[in-house]
Parts: sequence; structure tokens; C-alpha cells
Amino acid sequence: MIPDNAIYLEAAYAAAAIIYGAYAVSIWWRARRYRR
Amino acid sequence: MHSRISSDSRALAPFDWSIVVAAIAVIGVAIRAIWFTPIEARQGAAQKIYYVHPPSAFVGMYVGFGLMAIASGVYLWLHDERADLLAESSGEVGLAFLTVALVTGPIWGKTVWGAWWTWDARLTSTLFLWFLIAGYLVLRGAIDDRALRARYSAVLALLSVPLIFFIHFSVYFFRTLHPMPIVLKPSSPSLSPEMLTTFALSFVVMLVLYIALLRARYRLALWSARE
Repeated sequence: MIPDNAIYLEAAYAAAAIIYGAYAVSIWWRARRYRR
Repeated sequence: MHSRISSDSRALAPFDWSIVVAAIAVIGVAIRAIWFTPIEARQGAAQKIYYVHPPSAFVGMYVGFGLMAIASGVYLWLHDERADLLAESSGEVGLAFLTVALVTGPIWGKTVWGAWWTWDARLTSTLFLWFLIAGYLVLRGAIDDRALRARYSAVLALLSVPLIFFIHFSVYFFRTLHPMPIVLKPSSPSLSPEMLTTFALSFVVMLVLYIALLRARYRLALWSARE
């Protein structure tokens, strides 16, 4: 029987999306002051 | 002699489409992994963390920190500030990838080991590497003199290289819960063709994401250095 643990998959993918997304936003945020 | 950078109009372009291409590619591979790749019978859906955890660790540690170390060596040799800025950029992007590996690993570990974390050789040394690179970035922020900052941080970056080798071989040298490689090994990979294709695609896509983030971060470093 296949274990029902999809919540862990969703948590891991959501965490990865948040970290990569937040890092990309942090680069954009820091670059704003130089674009002006 | 520490040579400073001059303005480069191409490197200082305001927007780069590579980040959009990388984002679309990442979403595409995630869709393939979640809905179009078979579920492993014993581990269940959580096994699909495999398509984000090892590629993030590999790209962050070997590609990100590897390029950081090479660029640091080039700086110590040629004293070209662009090499120092590339090392800083690659180290920071690599740290983001290693953070994803260190966050997704325990989530996967909880399902297969029954524990979020274990202080074995692979996990502990990887966490130590994370702190070493975080310390490298903190060190850079603490030194105002650009030549001195570049020299000290280049030495620290090169000191991370033995630790990367140690982490790679730790699963062979020590008894550890962390599994040995199941794709990058002398015999054929222990994955079905569909899983192997998704895994290979996820590696390529993570590399594309790394390149896109590195381009953006290096551009930011150039802007900062021109001030």
C-alpha cells in the first residue's frame, strides 16, 4: 500500500518556491536603488 | 595591485529575460514531477521531493561554491575585481540553493527516517558549510577596504573546498542515514525511465535558474562596485 504523505511533498515544494522567490525579490529590491 | 572595474553597458542592462525563462522552466518541471511522473510505491508522493532536493544541493554546492572558489583563486592570482564580484555573487546564489536543500531534506527525511534531522556526517558537515558561506558573506559586509575584503574573503572561499570534498565522500567514509547516490554512480541508475527523465530535467532547470540568478546578482554587484 502506497503511503499517503502528499502533504510533505506540498510542504517541500512550497518551501523551495518561497526561498527561491524571496531571494529573486531580494536581488530586485537591492537593485532598485541603483536603477534610479 | 587591485584593479577596479570599469562600466560595462551590457552587464549593466536594467532587465534580463533569463529570470523569466528560468521561472517558466521551473514551473514546467514542477508540473511534470507532480502530475506526470509515477509515484514511488514504498515512499509515496513524498519521494518526489527527490526532484528538488538533490538538484538544489548539487547546483548550490558544486556549481555555486565551486565557481566561487575558482573565481576567488583567479582574484588572488590576477587581482581583478570582477573575479571577486563573481565569487561573491556565486557564493550568495549558491547559499540560496543550499538553503533549499537543507529545508527540503528534513521534510523528506521525516517521511522515510521518521526524524526531521540526525547529526550524522553528511547532514552536519552540510550545515557547517552553510554557516561557513554565511560567514563569508558577513565578512564581506564587515570590511570597507575593497582590496582587503577581496583578499580575505577569497582565502575563506578557498578554505570551503576541502569541506565540499568531505561532504561528497562522507556517505562512503561514515555510517550515515543519508543514502548514497542512486543516479551518479558507476552502475546504471536505480530509477525508472520516467523518473530519470524528470530528474535530469530538474537538474537542467536548476542550472538554468542558477545562471539567471547569478546574472542578476552579478549585475547588482557591478552596480554596487561603481558607487
